[in-house]
Amino acid sequence: MSEQPPIPRPEQRPLPPAPGADQRRIVLPPHRERARRPRSVRVREWVRKNLFPSTGGTLLTLIAAGIMGAIVVGIVIFVFFGANWEVITHNRWLLFAGGFPHEEAWRLWVSIAVVFALIGAAYGTWSSFGRRDHLFVLLVGGFVIFLMAHGGAAIWSTVYFLIAIGCMYLGYAVTIWMPRETSTLRTFQQRVVGGLLAVSLPLVLIILLVGGEVGPRHLDGFVLNLILAPVGIVGGIVLGIPLALGRASRLRSISLTCTAYIEIVRGAPLLGWLFVALFILDDVIGGDLIIRAMVVMAVFTGAYMAEYIRGALQALPRGQYEAAQAVGLTELQRTRLIIMPQALRISIPPMVGQAISIWKDTTLVTVILPLRELKGNADSAIAQFEFTPDRIEAYVFVAVIFWIVAFAMSRISQRVERAQGVGER
Amino acid sequence: MSAQAPAPPSPSAGGPPPSDGVPLFYRRGFRRLLQQGLYVAVTGLVFWYVYDALNLREFGFGFLDEPAAFKVGNQWLTDIDGVTENRITMYLVGVWSSLRVVFVAILLSTLVGVLVGVSRLSSNWLVARLAMLYVEIFRNTPLLVQVVLVYAIFLVGAPIIQEVVNIGDFAFISNRGLAIPWPVPSDGLWGVPDWFVGVWVALLLAIGTVAMTIRRSRQNRERETGQPQFANRWAFGIFAVGALVTFIVLGLPVSIDRPYIEGTRYLEGMVIRPEFAALTIGLTLYTGAFNAEIVRGSIQALPTGQTEAANAIGLSGYQRLTLVILPQALRQMIPSITNQYLNVNKNSSLAYAVLYDDLFRVAGIIQNKAGHALEMFFVIIVTYMLISLVISAVMNFINARVTRVGV
Repeated sequence: MSEQPPIPRPEQRPLPPAPGADQRRIVLPPHRERARRPRSVRVREWVRKNLFPSTGGTLLTLIAAGIMGAIVVGIVIFVFFGANWEVITHNRWLLFAGGFPHEEAWRLWVSIAVVFALIGAAYGTWSSFGRRDHLFVLLVGGFVIFLMAHGGAAIWSTVYFLIAIGCMYLGYAVTIWMPRETSTLRTFQQRVVGGLLAVSLPLVLIILLVGGEVGPRHLDGFVLNLILAPVGIVGGIVLGIPLALGRASRLRSISLTCTAYIEIVRGAPLLGWLFVALFILDDVIGGDLIIRAMVVMAVFTGAYMAEYIRGALQALPRGQYEAAQAVGLTELQRTRLIIMPQALRISIPPMVGQAISIWKDTTLVTVILPLRELKGNADSAIAQFEFTPDRIEAYVFVAVIFWIVAFAMSRISQRVERAQGVGER
Repeated sequence: MSAQAPAPPSPSAGGPPPSDGVPLFYRRGFRRLLQQGLYVAVTGLVFWYVYDALNLREFGFGFLDEPAAFKVGNQWLTDIDGVTENRITMYLVGVWSSLRVVFVAILLSTLVGVLVGVSRLSSNWLVARLAMLYVEIFRNTPLLVQVVLVYAIFLVGAPIIQEVVNIGDFAFISNRGLAIPWPVPSDGLWGVPDWFVGVWVALLLAIGTVAMTIRRSRQNRERETGQPQFANRWAFGIFAVGALVTFIVLGLPVSIDRPYIEGTRYLEGMVIRPEFAALTIGLTLYTGAFNAEIVRGSIQALPTGQTEAANAIGLSGYQRLTLVILPQALRQMIPSITNQYLNVNKNSSLAYAVLYDDLFRVAGIIQNKAGHALEMFFVIIVTYMLISLVISAVMNFINARVTRVGV
């Protein structure tokens, strides 16, 4: 071992020979080298490499361009010439809120403003709006206003919607303006916004339903989707955490029943459970059909959430359990302070996937329950005599609306993952 | 699992800690007993409440044996009249309809998934964008809306049967569905009885087995000697000749029936109804988008060295994909894809929305006629679980096959 020559310290290394004038060319890494060339050359290179690399590649590009062109032309022709969008513009309120009384519409707008403001505040606290986010808001806002502007006056609705978007940017401005350096203030801000987010669902339900002439049975149209999905998601997480812990429990009776619950619920499709809500739960818990549907949504989502959380629990390194035990935490403290925060963080991506899934599944209440959410009210719209030929238009509209929200959810989840450092560690 | 370092004996594994001197209330055994006792008591109360509320005195499956008295559409290979048959038979007809949808949708969605998933990673910018567009659109819209949209396109877009699109008297397209030719048992050369079809199919199976054995042995010889033995060509040739010879010897037991139209109905041939098509296409497009993401993820999870090595030994793009990338990615993707197949099974219940008589809809009709919601739900959930079990078993078998092959 001692025969190895001592490694020379940096300052003792012989210096490289002083570069002569002819040797001064600096060799850059390939991507920097490419970047030095003029833009037009780079564009040409990119096009050749990515679109026309070879005969086969060129053929593929042409085919793809043909397909894409056909789709775009088809969509343009359908949207601007072939389709009769009156089925939508004529039934705006039916699709949006259905049987929700007109004179109580302020409740809807206040709820939307509150939720928008909270979204803005959350963005300002944990992330920031990028150019794409502004573009998304602009496009969606433009779409909604375009919808309102067509076929009769909806000026006040437009104004209310604009105010709601204003609330979002207000919440964003206030939170992004707060100094980020002072840690106590920042912690306080995060606690406040997080707490508000946590109580936002009950808050919205209170705004919507308490006092006045409205009850759960008035939740209708798109509003019903907007309520059912969060109830399912939040209820699912609330149920899923104890179920996951229960399934992982050492106590046999607990793990057996939790496993049975999860597997049985996952065994039947959601439609089957809505069947239960309609015909069987009536005898067990009674109440309004909408309430029963909400319970079923939460129970159903809970089983799936539990599986994702269980996966995260198993993915946690054993050392976390042992370390918690070593510092003398009780089982409850260990779960609350060490295990759950990490497990929930890991399970964010699949849980968001499940949330998007339940958002799309809110349409299923129409299929066998006499409840009318957005798709159901689209059915009512095309049941009107003058709109019977416009089925495709109505369903395309419904698909677009669902797509907008689901897409926004997936984008927000990417932000959350980045902010929480999921997958980085 | 991590390296097999000698773990310190954890208290849960190393027997109970000494309990002398600890008050009874704080002993672990007593604690567990207390917790379980409380838990069992509470769950028992809930169960008792539910049991009491359900009022199970009339629980029983006798009603399934009564005459069904309703029609079940969209039958294939069966033509069972619900007026005379009992309810359980009609339910089984519904199960058969579900199985067809699930099977076709699983096959097609896998194809779409592999195609789109590979396209998403294409070096061709336009193809990759097109694939991404497809995934983002179909993953983020409800399956129900996709199914009813396809159904609406069929109903609105296809012509009525009086203005049917006739493709050379060979196939017909109208809003009653797509009618195509289909093989049926025939009289053949000398009044061949129908059961000769069964004989022929059995013979085909036997010939196929022989062909596969020969293929295997030729492959082995090729591996040993290094001389090309054309295993696939031999196997295919034997099968084709065998099938033709037996077909002629048995007196042409099968003929192709071309569909025709009488009044407003399709007769003969095979009719793909709009309900079946809408449900299957919807399921395929929706699940295909998810499968594409799974395929893409599994390919991306492979080390880049695999692609580089394949390029280095001079494989073409297609060879690289089929010989190097996909076989390895398959191992990664099978568990997630299995999950998607189980979802296809459960999502096939959306047949209800387009009035396709699958098991769920037939069960709904029975419940509508006879009541007994709890029993019907029990039947439904057991059926779905059984189908799920079969899918899982098949996929586990494939998984075992795929992971067993050494690299």
